[in-house]
Amino acid sequence: MNSVASFTVPTVTHAQKSAEGLAEKISVQSLDFFYGDNRALKNINVSLYKGHVTAFIGPSGCGKSTLLRILNRMYDLYPNQRASGQVLLDGEDILSPHQDINLLRAKVGMVFQKPTPFPMTIYENIAFGIRLYEKLPKSELDGRVQHALQRAALWNEVKDKLGANGLSLSGGQQQRLCIARTVAVRPEVILFDEPCSALDPISTAKIEELIDELKDDYTIAIVTHNMQQAARVSDFTAFMYLGELIEYGETTKIFTTPNDRRTQDYITGRFG
Amino acid sequence: MTMTAQANPSQTNTPLYRSRQRRNVITMTLAYAATAFGLIWLALILGVLFYEGFSGLSLAVFTEMTPPPGSAGGLLNPIMGSLVMTVIAVAIGTPLGMLAGTYMAEYGRYDKLSSVVRFINDILLSAPSIVIGLFVYEIMVAQMGHFSGWAGAVSLAVIVVPVVVRTTEDMLTLVPDTLREAAASIGLPRSLMIVKVAYRAARAGMITGVLLAVARISGETAPLLFTALNNQFWSTDLNAPVSSLPVVIFQFALSPYKDWQSLAWTGALIITLTVLTLSIIARALASQRKSS
Amino acid sequence: MADVALQSGTISVAEQVDRAKVLQRLRLGDAAFRHLTRAAAITVLIILGGIIVSLVHGSWPALHSFGFSFLFDETWNPVTEKFGAIAPIYGTVVTSLIAMLIAVPVGLFIALFLTELCPMWLRRPIGIAIELLAGIPSIIYGIWGLFVFAPFLQQYVQPFLISAFGNVPVLSNLFAGPPYGIGILTAGLILAIMVLPFITSISRDVFEAVPPVLKEAAYGLGCTTWEVARYVVLPFTRVGVIGGVMLGLGRALGETMAVTFVIGNAHRISGSILAPGTTISATIANEFTEAVGDLYTSSLIALGLILFVITFVVLACARLMLMRLNARLGK
Repeated sequence: MNSVASFTVPTVTHAQKSAEGLAEKISVQSLDFFYGDNRALKNINVSLYKGHVTAFIGPSGCGKSTLLRILNRMYDLYPNQRASGQVLLDGEDILSPHQDINLLRAKVGMVFQKPTPFPMTIYENIAFGIRLYEKLPKSELDGRVQHALQRAALWNEVKDKLGANGLSLSGGQQQRLCIARTVAVRPEVILFDEPCSALDPISTAKIEELIDELKDDYTIAIVTHNMQQAARVSDFTAFMYLGELIEYGETTKIFTTPNDRRTQDYITGRFG
Repeated sequence: MTMTAQANPSQTNTPLYRSRQRRNVITMTLAYAATAFGLIWLALILGVLFYEGFSGLSLAVFTEMTPPPGSAGGLLNPIMGSLVMTVIAVAIGTPLGMLAGTYMAEYGRYDKLSSVVRFINDILLSAPSIVIGLFVYEIMVAQMGHFSGWAGAVSLAVIVVPVVVRTTEDMLTLVPDTLREAAASIGLPRSLMIVKVAYRAARAGMITGVLLAVARISGETAPLLFTALNNQFWSTDLNAPVSSLPVVIFQFALSPYKDWQSLAWTGALIITLTVLTLSIIARALASQRKSS
Repeated sequence: MADVALQSGTISVAEQVDRAKVLQRLRLGDAAFRHLTRAAAITVLIILGGIIVSLVHGSWPALHSFGFSFLFDETWNPVTEKFGAIAPIYGTVVTSLIAMLIAVPVGLFIALFLTELCPMWLRRPIGIAIELLAGIPSIIYGIWGLFVFAPFLQQYVQPFLISAFGNVPVLSNLFAGPPYGIGILTAGLILAIMVLPFITSISRDVFEAVPPVLKEAAYGLGCTTWEVARYVVLPFTRVGVIGGVMLGLGRALGETMAVTFVIGNAHRISGSILAPGTTISATIANEFTEAVGDLYTSSLIALGLILFVITFVVLACARLMLMRLNARLGK
């Protein structure tokens, strides 16, 4: 541990140059995170840009999922977890106690590692979130459901069985149902927490395609174990290690000429 | 066979080995015997119950009132009384138990209050039901000055609560956290997440809990003896004593009259069939949940 | 995706404001629901508190006029209004003791059979049968005991016991007197049959919690089934088994209906277990509605208080032990 602590001098190389002219959607500033007394994230500074995909990579336990779960304050569900620092969404600090957490989560949607359809019909899975905020006539609601399923490239597969239980779909379909559910609430940011780790290669390819289509409308962050996936879908990549952000920059740069030795070691498969 | 052929004879033929084998055979025989012994008693009880119960079973049991000694009659008023008090007990006990279980599984899973309530609830779960009868006598019958159906229903409700608390908490704990996170991720407030998503995921298990609670109270006698008391006549007034199946069985079985004793057996059969049916449905529901 | 233009992926500022309003409204309900559940949880504690307070309150007159001697006095005389609890306490303890002496070994052996010996296809049916039987109301056991079991004991078993042990020094006292059929022994036996499925199903659950690798390791050393049970399963699950046994004991101590039918309701302590006696719960069940006079009623409630205290202690110990087993299993 001591040898790691000596690294805390920031070795982060911000991709300032390439980020010029991009709209900053989320800005994380000197963020620390604690599980009880255990400091899981150390002084994280990173920005997510509108209309772009940012990938977080690193070995297990490096804190990449933890960071993602701060962006919609998912950690609030559990006791003894706290964050300090600032996370600005459009300039407003979401860590502020005055932040309405549910409103935040409606703005910052999330797709999980394992597909998590609600125990209800496919239609209800989507309509549920919409109805929460808006009282819509049936026809309009149907339209919104259809639209969300189309955006998740699931409509053609399920249009004849909207009344079936969401759990009856295949794993890949369930994951796209979850994406549709997220899209239906019309968020601004979508967080993907290893969305393909439980899926077969074909379903994975579909989800990756989907992420690429969705990025025109949303700011996207994805945590992944799979470096090829990060290289394929993301515009920016952040490499994390032992709770620190080691390096952050354009994906092409990170994967070809990383600045930090540890990034290079990880990307070339020497550890992790 | 090849194994024994290859085994070293000096190890399988020693006195120690033989005595170990002997001891094993003896204890294993005891295990078989114990099982047979246990099952025989239980078969005997059910056998007699079914024989005596069915021989007294007729339509009149469900259409006529309890008779005075020495004449024929039925069990209509106690059956109705039991039904009404059970329904009220479930109507009171289920929401209370579900809400308490919800607190323990959803809001306060790790806090002190939950662990205290869990401990106390587990004790209430096995507390002597006659004590619960005394409790309700003290707070209701003694205060109002008369026995009543309401008091009977409340004492049954006190028995329902811990059963429902326990199953609700257990079933909600089985709902994966990822589902809660998914609900939270679309901005659902906690209460809606619980009611619309967690309850739905745990539904089969929670229904099982209620069914088990009904099974539990449908044979309870002790808490009714001095709360609802008994009533030989048809009564829909819950402010008055109300007849119930278990109490009538108790009274009739201990009477010297053949007709009454026969009705007691029939009542016992009705209760047993009810309890068994409820348990089987509950079990089927629970296993269905597991397989889906 | 022709209608994408119509339905933009994100929402306008006006809609954002609406959304915030909706959530604002929901927040109130959210807090209300949270407090409601919390209140319900506290109600469980209030119920227990209410039981204790009402029992203490109700038994106060009796405890006040008899003091501690209430616990040790054998008198139970409604006419002179002298009451003592020792006979019912004795009956409660002895019947439960008889029940546990029989049900614990038999239950453990059945659990052993179910987890180690029983062929797979038979495990589920027997397991289910035992759990269903554990749910049968105690009044059924009571009525069966009264009409079938007690006459059977009176006719065949008790005369045999009396003649067989008539000349054995200690046992002749234990099995003395005429064969009534009903009495302490009968009640104890009925209780044994009643708690048997209960103890069996808990011990089976506890046995099944033993990690298979442990058993496999012992079998791998060449242990016999009995040796695995005796030296691996039982030591590993000891706390849980004791907890389960005490839960069963709690049941037996507080059981009313199975006992009331066959105990004989006699307020005296007899050396013979064939003699009629009474238990706390049977006394309350038999006499409460007929009790006239405040002191009589109060004495019965005081009996209830004693029963509650005894079972509370037993059940609390049982739960603590089961909790220790679970902690050990890392649950």
